[in-house]
Amino acid sequence: MNPVAMTGLSVALPGVDRPRGLLEPVAPDPAPVDPAVLIGKKGLRYKDRATRIGLHLAFAALTDAGLLDDGRLRAPGDRIGVVVSSNLGNADTVCRAVETIAKETTSGLSPMDTPNASSNIIASETAIRFGLRGPNLTVCNGAGSGLDAVRWAGLMVRSGRVDHMVVVGVEPDNPVTRRLVGGPVADGGAALVLSRSGETGPVRPAKALLAAGTRTAPSGTAPRRPAGTTPGTALRLTDEPDHVPPGEPSLDLAGWGELSGALGVVQCVAAAAWFAAGGAGTAHAVAGGAGVTLLAPGHAS
Amino acid sequence: MTYPITGAGAVASIGGDLDEVFRSLCEGRSGLAPLRAFDRAQFNAQQLFEIDDRPAEGLDEPGRATRFLLEAVRQAAADAGLPEDLAGIPVLVGTGLRELRSLELWWRDGVPFGADELHFENALRSRFGAVDTHTFAGACSASLYALALAWDLLEQGEAETVIVAGCDVVTESMFGQADRVQFDPPSSVRPFDTGRQGTILGEGAAAVVLGRVPAEGRRPRGWLRSVAVNCDAHHQTAPDAAGVRAAVRQAQDRAAVTPEEIDLVLLHATGTPLNDRTEATVTAEVFAEARPALTGVKSLTGHTSGSAGLLSLIVALRSLETGIVPPIAGLTDPLSEGAGLNLVSGGPLTGPLRTAQVNSFGFGGVNAVAIVAGAA
Repeated sequence: MNPVAMTGLSVALPGVDRPRGLLEPVAPDPAPVDPAVLIGKKGLRYKDRATRIGLHLAFAALTDAGLLDDGRLRAPGDRIGVVVSSNLGNADTVCRAVETIAKETTSGLSPMDTPNASSNIIASETAIRFGLRGPNLTVCNGAGSGLDAVRWAGLMVRSGRVDHMVVVGVEPDNPVTRRLVGGPVADGGAALVLSRSGETGPVRPAKALLAAGTRTAPSGTAPRRPAGTTPGTALRLTDEPDHVPPGEPSLDLAGWGELSGALGVVQCVAAAAWFAAGGAGTAHAVAGGAGVTLLAPGHAS
Repeated sequence: MTYPITGAGAVASIGGDLDEVFRSLCEGRSGLAPLRAFDRAQFNAQQLFEIDDRPAEGLDEPGRATRFLLEAVRQAAADAGLPEDLAGIPVLVGTGLRELRSLELWWRDGVPFGADELHFENALRSRFGAVDTHTFAGACSASLYALALAWDLLEQGEAETVIVAGCDVVTESMFGQADRVQFDPPSSVRPFDTGRQGTILGEGAAAVVLGRVPAEGRRPRGWLRSVAVNCDAHHQTAPDAAGVRAAVRQAQDRAAVTPEEIDLVLLHATGTPLNDRTEATVTAEVFAEARPALTGVKSLTGHTSGSAGLLSLIVALRSLETGIVPPIAGLTDPLSEGAGLNLVSGGPLTGPLRTAQVNSFGFGGVNAVAIVAGAA
């Protein structure tokens, strides 16, 4: 099986604006993500927070992959799709609406909120802004959502539906999402671009390769180090300590509050950053029963 | 490539299973009724196509989308002869509104609810032992999007059997946002009619079982020939003819069928002025040299959001099986863009049918089109 290449990366979390930052300690009192700095204020006025950050992330990842140049698409838009992972994205719009209806009838609602009531709003806005006419969907699948999104994007690249998929994982922090998860939410996320291996044209070289994806019941048996591999060469990305065999390096990425649907995408971007920093071999990301294995570029599979 | 559809199940306001839904469509029975649980004083519109399952009149309860999903999956699995335990079989659920109605009841009324209940993983695991479960929110075409991913799983050899489902109940936020902009709420849904005034939301769930090969000794319900998915990348709510046309053409190309070989089209046909006009224009263009029978279900089921595409697909399968096409209820004066189209109205149409196209379009220009063939 020809592995799918990860060709573009982006991160937007408080205090972190590049993948490498995911390998470093979280800065104290970091500044919140401000999408307007990167993509400007134009067109953001009626967008919810998750959509704004999502657009910022997609722009940065597509640019990093070489698919966007100065905001212009450099490959056919109908061969590029979007998968978003977000569990909490439009929760505040939905809850505010029901509160307003109870107090003021529907006359108190803003018509501008209508598109935001759809769970697919981040994905469809990303398509509209950048002209991406390939498959467009949102994965809302709990803790494993981000890794599931990477898996589905990889499947659509392999099946030939698209040449490139941008995968965005994003969650907003607000009173509704805080109450729902019982604590602060990351208020940011990450994005990556998956491309067909060997794709020529504007695309940059692979930063990581996507190997197998799996799904088990959450908190299933911890994966063991595969027989015949050298201890210490496989990175584990998980916030579930049971999944880290003794002696293996690991990253829990727990410094930003609840990452929820963004977690899996942040994990994959961190793995690519680890490879770029000289970490050799393999990375295993595990979240909520979903698992994805990534290989360093040039890795013989 | 073509894959057998080995089982099907459905729940809607007009019936608790596939046979009852299909009978209601043929007999013109509508699920439209006064609001069953929302506070009527807060809305202009006073009707929805709700499933009448709440234990107490006027009182809402959480978890109804999950309940309908589990019932549709149960029916489809039983129809396919699968065991009650679905461990090892991926279950892909397309939904527009997930359990957002439960989220609303949690925020406003303090009903117990957690973030992990927004999607259907826990319910599918505890009811069927399924662990490879996925909730997709792809606007109103979500369930056909899930079908496209199931196709890819089979084609890539990653699964032998996949269950695909769609489910949705009406949320107050979505109903309310529509109510805010519909100053003169429609009294009925009249797809493809010049008198159409907009859509009305409905509730429903549908499920199918797809396999790589038919089960031995069992006749499949039909065959999935292709699923095409794309995005207009054009507008938040308004459709774009170019995107819709591309999805239809791609579905036909992938299935290697010509428009002349398609006998039946299940239209998306929501009854909104712009959507129906766009769909009629594209349909007239694509089928310029052909005259398939055209029908749609939403005048009787309402717009069942993310489950709508799969519900239409199951109705198409039933039509292919029986040779009976239910009419578009309420259609008396077809829109001008549909002049010359073979829109089924008045009563059911009967005749031999082999191949059907199913259209499903969503907010944000998210399009999905499937081609199915009968079992014979």
